[in-house]
Amino acid sequence: MTSFLFTLAATEPAGPNLVIRIAAILFVAANLAAFGFVISSGAADSDQNARGIWRKRLKHALIYEVLGLGAIFMVTPFYWMVSTSFKDRETAVSTVPEFMPKRATYTAPSASGSGEVEVRVIGTIRNEGDPRTVIPTSEIKFEADSSKGFTIHKETWDKAKEYKVEPNKLKRGEKINLSLQNFRQAWYSPEEGTRGRANFTRYFAVSIGTSVLATMGTLFTGALAAFAFARFEFFGKNALFYVILATMMVPGQVLLIPNFLILDQLGWLDTFYALTVPWLASVFTIFLMRQFFMTVPNDLWEAARIDGASHFRYLWQIIVPLCKPVFITAGIFNFLNNWNSLLWPLIVTSRPEMRTLMVGLQTFTEDAGTDFHLLMAASTMAILPIVILFFLMQRFFIEGIARSGLK
Amino acid sequence: MTSATERKLKESFTAYAYLAPAGIVLLTFWFLPVIVSLAMSFSNLTALSPVEEAKFVGFANYIRALNSEQFQQSFWNTVNYAIYSVPLTLSLSLAAAMLLNSKIKGVGFWRTAFFLPYITTWVAISVVWMYIFNRDYGLANWFLGIVSTDILGLETPWNLRWLAESRGIWEMVFETKAPRNLPFGSGAFLAGPSLAMVSIIITSVWRDIGYFMIIFLAGLQNIDKSYYEAAEIDGANAWQKFRHITFPLLSPVTFFLLVISLIGSFQVFVPMLVMTPNGGQAYDTAPIVFYIYETGFRGNWQLSYAAAVAYLLTAMILTLTVIQNRVLGKKVVYQ
Repeated sequence: MTSFLFTLAATEPAGPNLVIRIAAILFVAANLAAFGFVISSGAADSDQNARGIWRKRLKHALIYEVLGLGAIFMVTPFYWMVSTSFKDRETAVSTVPEFMPKRATYTAPSASGSGEVEVRVIGTIRNEGDPRTVIPTSEIKFEADSSKGFTIHKETWDKAKEYKVEPNKLKRGEKINLSLQNFRQAWYSPEEGTRGRANFTRYFAVSIGTSVLATMGTLFTGALAAFAFARFEFFGKNALFYVILATMMVPGQVLLIPNFLILDQLGWLDTFYALTVPWLASVFTIFLMRQFFMTVPNDLWEAARIDGASHFRYLWQIIVPLCKPVFITAGIFNFLNNWNSLLWPLIVTSRPEMRTLMVGLQTFTEDAGTDFHLLMAASTMAILPIVILFFLMQRFFIEGIARSGLK
Repeated sequence: MTSATERKLKESFTAYAYLAPAGIVLLTFWFLPVIVSLAMSFSNLTALSPVEEAKFVGFANYIRALNSEQFQQSFWNTVNYAIYSVPLTLSLSLAAAMLLNSKIKGVGFWRTAFFLPYITTWVAISVVWMYIFNRDYGLANWFLGIVSTDILGLETPWNLRWLAESRGIWEMVFETKAPRNLPFGSGAFLAGPSLAMVSIIITSVWRDIGYFMIIFLAGLQNIDKSYYEAAEIDGANAWQKFRHITFPLLSPVTFFLLVISLIGSFQVFVPMLVMTPNGGQAYDTAPIVFYIYETGFRGNWQLSYAAAVAYLLTAMILTLTVIQNRVLGKKVVYQ
């Protein structure tokens, strides 16, 4: 549909496009009329008479329309991201957007002169009329190269098989592309040229490692501390609880600078300790778990004590299984927090080997410039694990968030 | 000693053992820094000289910050961001929640579609929107092109510079220039957020709608249906029902969301760093956190100065929270 509109726009560059114009006018008019009909209060309208039924139907149609337009606005950037990550550079930076994941293809007379072959134009073009250097796509191979300590897949071909073609003999076409070329290329960012190198294997490993470790740690320390608040009467309990609540009010930015100094004094800057240890406990998690633990009836403890259970066993064998939802919710939010954090790793680490996925993606953005097809491929890769996690645990996400507003 | 105190003392030891793992981490990296940071902000410590050489300088860092043109601008950038993004997000998400609450089919589908942006990472979506707002290849200008030339029939298409445009939107709309010699650089407020900042506001509204919508939806479902039935018997129309039932009964939720979104908007940083790595053409998209990052790190390393700015930010956030509690807290109706 959209490509149909583009063709129309392309054939008629001057002046307004009548089809789009009429469609837009009709759309606005129909909506105004429908809206007017729906809000016009008819005293005689009811569920029984025709006018009332139509009013109800139209109202529903309008709700679906508004929601639909909203959903398009919400989803388009994602579609655009995924679609672009399959395009080539030429298609990604065309002035009229291409909505399908297409690649430009070129065909030229083969080197031997018999028939036509699909080719790739390589090298830079100086003047419009200059012959183009091409290589048949069948000659291009992906070759693994582990010379840099990790494997890079790069495109290679036999230099001798290159040949030149007059520009007017070169035919341009387009085809839908679903190969993972861009992902492979972005994974180990552009090899040639002056651009920085990205190593997404490393970025992913660092991000997954630190996020999982910090989340597990937070859940463990959080459960212990929350248990202390929920189960014991001890000196300074209330004071300590208020201190914890007050800490939740302090914006994290205040802690950045002193923590930088503290980590420096500990000699932990630029190490995994800096990325994980400060995140092994969270006041929010303690608070959340305490609220949940308080709802567990005390009789359970009495019963467990009669059976000879210690506090520690009671916590892990009775409380934790009973409070599973809060562990999942706290786990998800801590994981997301760690996975998404940018400012912290940016400040406490500087070596490329210590980059988390977010830092890696951010530096890649600065390096890749307008290579949007690679940028979108990298973004897709960064988002994918979270989206999968979301669809697996959707219920807990939504419930956890909905609950936060109804304290 | 009575046996009760004795028992409490014994229990205290156990309790503190349970608190210790979290306590040590929180003490070192959360409580201690609050004090260290305050002490630092009164010294002239940098990351380039040893800690022992730091001297007490009184309020010098604070005075310097308040007189710094860049700080003033970053303050107004933050205010502009908050003032335009918070009401927009709240109203749009409330509207979406009310539509979803009106006996609609496929609530799960709509909810997922609206919520998806929120769970994805700020860095990645900033990259995507940076592409959408690209002047030459972006969807935003393509869409404006269709509206301006095809639908409105204009000669030249609307072609905006989006993230590269540092003029304020009110300056663009009224085609004037806001005075820049007002006290505390407040001309930046009159000028409105720059178009670059507006692009970032659009991105953040897009991202947050789903989150707020889900909380609003939970709040709406909590309202007793009998209120509406009673109103219908009295012949109330849709607006009256919203004005006199939905809005007041939803006010605790709205208040909660207003507080957290205002606080959140004063801490915004990531989209600005990704979409405009230098804080915009004329430092027009740099919020306060960006200023802290730039002065404290990124080659400047003025740790003490950045700590002072961070404390100014904390003071602003606390003031906001207190004002909100005073002014709005009284108007909140609990069911």
